[in-house]
Amino acid sequence: MVNVLTPQTPERAPGPAPAGPAGHGRRRARHRQTAVAYLFLAPALLFFAVFLLLPLGFALLLSVSHWTGFDLGAIDPVGPDNFGALFTGGSTFLVPVLTNTLLFALGTVALALTGSVVVATCVDRLRFQGLWRTLYFLPIVTTVVAVGNVWKYMYEPGGLANGVLNALGLGSVAFLQDPDTALPSVVAVQAWASLGSAILVLTAGLKSIPASYHEAAALDGAGPGTVFRCITLPLLRPSLLFVCVTQFLTGLQSFALITVMTRGGPGDATNVAALEMYRRAFDYGDWGTASAAAFVLFAVVLVVTLAQLWIFRRAGEDA
Amino acid sequence: MTPPRGPSRRHIALALPSALLAAGCAAPHRGTGRPGDPVVLTLLTHYASGALHRALQGPVDEWNATHDRVKVRTKAVEFTDLLTTFMVRQAAGQGADILHPYCLWNGQLVRAGVLRPAPPEHAERIRRDWGEAAVGAVTVDGTVYGYPTEAQTYALYYNRRLLREAGVDGPPATWPELEEAAYRTTRRDRYGNPLVQGFGLSANDDATTVGQTLALLHAAGGRFVTPDGRSTAIDSPAGRAVLALEHRLVARGASAPAVNVYQAFPSGRVAMVVGAGWWTGSLRPLMGGGYRDVGVAPVPVPAPGARPATLATGFMLGVNTASRHPREAWEFLRWLNADRVTAGNGTAATRMSALQVSVGSLTARADDMRALLGTGGDPNLRPFLDALDYAVPEPNGPGAARAKTLLRKNIEALWTGRRSVEEALRTTRRQVDQEVSRSW
Repeated sequence: MVNVLTPQTPERAPGPAPAGPAGHGRRRARHRQTAVAYLFLAPALLFFAVFLLLPLGFALLLSVSHWTGFDLGAIDPVGPDNFGALFTGGSTFLVPVLTNTLLFALGTVALALTGSVVVATCVDRLRFQGLWRTLYFLPIVTTVVAVGNVWKYMYEPGGLANGVLNALGLGSVAFLQDPDTALPSVVAVQAWASLGSAILVLTAGLKSIPASYHEAAALDGAGPGTVFRCITLPLLRPSLLFVCVTQFLTGLQSFALITVMTRGGPGDATNVAALEMYRRAFDYGDWGTASAAAFVLFAVVLVVTLAQLWIFRRAGEDA
Repeated sequence: MTPPRGPSRRHIALALPSALLAAGCAAPHRGTGRPGDPVVLTLLTHYASGALHRALQGPVDEWNATHDRVKVRTKAVEFTDLLTTFMVRQAAGQGADILHPYCLWNGQLVRAGVLRPAPPEHAERIRRDWGEAAVGAVTVDGTVYGYPTEAQTYALYYNRRLLREAGVDGPPATWPELEEAAYRTTRRDRYGNPLVQGFGLSANDDATTVGQTLALLHAAGGRFVTPDGRSTAIDSPAGRAVLALEHRLVARGASAPAVNVYQAFPSGRVAMVVGAGWWTGSLRPLMGGGYRDVGVAPVPVPAPGARPATLATGFMLGVNTASRHPREAWEFLRWLNADRVTAGNGTAATRMSALQVSVGSLTARADDMRALLGTGGDPNLRPFLDALDYAVPEPNGPGAARAKTLLRKNIEALWTGRRSVEEALRTTRRQVDQEVSRSW
């Protein structure tokens, strides 16, 4: 049965508003209603203006200016020089900083997505699902500083990770000190820390798949692998899209974990755009290039997000 | 004739942000402003908690009790938030009258117009009564900007027990002795995990990594940047020798930059490490009875008979250009940093010197330090104190913080085998030259 909403008031034919005192009064009432509506919207609009539009405009101004961060009267316009400085004269912003950022985000998404699909599928078949979900969600409610420091100790020579390798008869690895392993090591931690939220979304997605589909497939003789590949994964696509986009955005803007674990080192091996922006602005007082870097990162985030949406749409999924 | 109209929407739209901006950027209101009411000076410092906070509050309370016309109010934030707080408060027109910056930031603060040059009589006093390293730290481009409060020199910490067990009689005085002692004391397990590092080189942060290297560089007679701070000078025989030494120590396993020396040394897993004087105050409570094994010696020099040298870093107290009461602020700073009073052990010293020594730190005045330590005190502080006479101040030009980070990155690239000594020197010179020339 389909519910049909019936309009309570008769529809008025479109046409010019009637002239005369009655039409004038209706216009006034409409204006009054509009004013009241704006009045109610005002707090939200003010919040939006103060905390989003104003900083955005200020950042845009700074990106084409030279400013040391202390005196608002000393903002010195320099045109596009700051953007040029990011990409010329041996600047490290494009390589390795921006490439590290993309690799970090990509690695995090790949690991977290794969891990969460596997874990969510397993959890979906277990008893005490709430308990398992809670356990996997724990890293989300733990502070990044604690997570970063604990993993840092585990990666140290003589730490847990090397202890396991040594117990297996393997030599020690300088996880965070070798430029070849530092970024993957931090990616692994970021993926582990973000697994919980992905599992929550994916288990909800799994629950929304009707059991009858799986039963029908089983009756047709499909094995677990085929069911997973041909039924579960396609129907899980909306959840996967959400996880993919949000994890990628988080990865591109990641800052705290890297600050705690490596401070961008060794050398520039784990330096990412957000950390570079922060240091340029707050440590070196170079707000111009920091703001320019912020807009470059914004452009990258926008392009990557649009690309993800396009890919999923081509695969038949509306965002 | 059109009747006069009220302000249009356009006028309001233009006026409102301007008014808000003007209100935000206006200089802060100090005190009530009523005639006869006292002037209230604000002092922004990183002495935020514990003994340091109490130590500073003592003289401030004394000043407030003995001065009716000018009062001082301290505002404290953690050191990690100090520079950011300077920036935010200054941009909002709420900058403190008196600032307590790390001298590395001085060039940046001067370039931004935050620090007020010391008046001639104060500058003259500072140049006369403080050592070369302390004066250099508070001077930017030949102008003195404040009173040095504390000075940290670098020296060689060593573990007597570990040296003794390896058959090394005493702390090394030269680089060949340092290398020999480092290789003899190093121990690793069969998987390559360091059990004892002969010489600690830590990639912990800019201060640790660069501090160690610059101390050795100065001991070799080299400099990071030229005396005017406008170009790098590390690409020199001394710079080459230091980086080659560090590279050898890492490559031969005597140093493990992966290990945090601040944790490894107190637990007896590092035989020798170059560190700053403040560390003694942390090691003593941390190591308990084990502190007996800790000794401190001057930073080894490349060859016997070479002139000793090391690195000095420090803090200073200066006056904000936005302060409405600079005269009163300088007067308070003179009272705190230059007037001599009778300290705890009956010797005459400045209030700041007494304050620093009471918390186990080093005052920037060597004469006060010697008087306050007397014949007692921690003998491990003496080498740091002696170093005040020959230490070289950390570069503090406008791009100094960035230059320090660039040097740290190149040192780490050398340690991890990403760059050779020559490449590291060349890259450092190119990057730092570009940065400092842009900053000036």
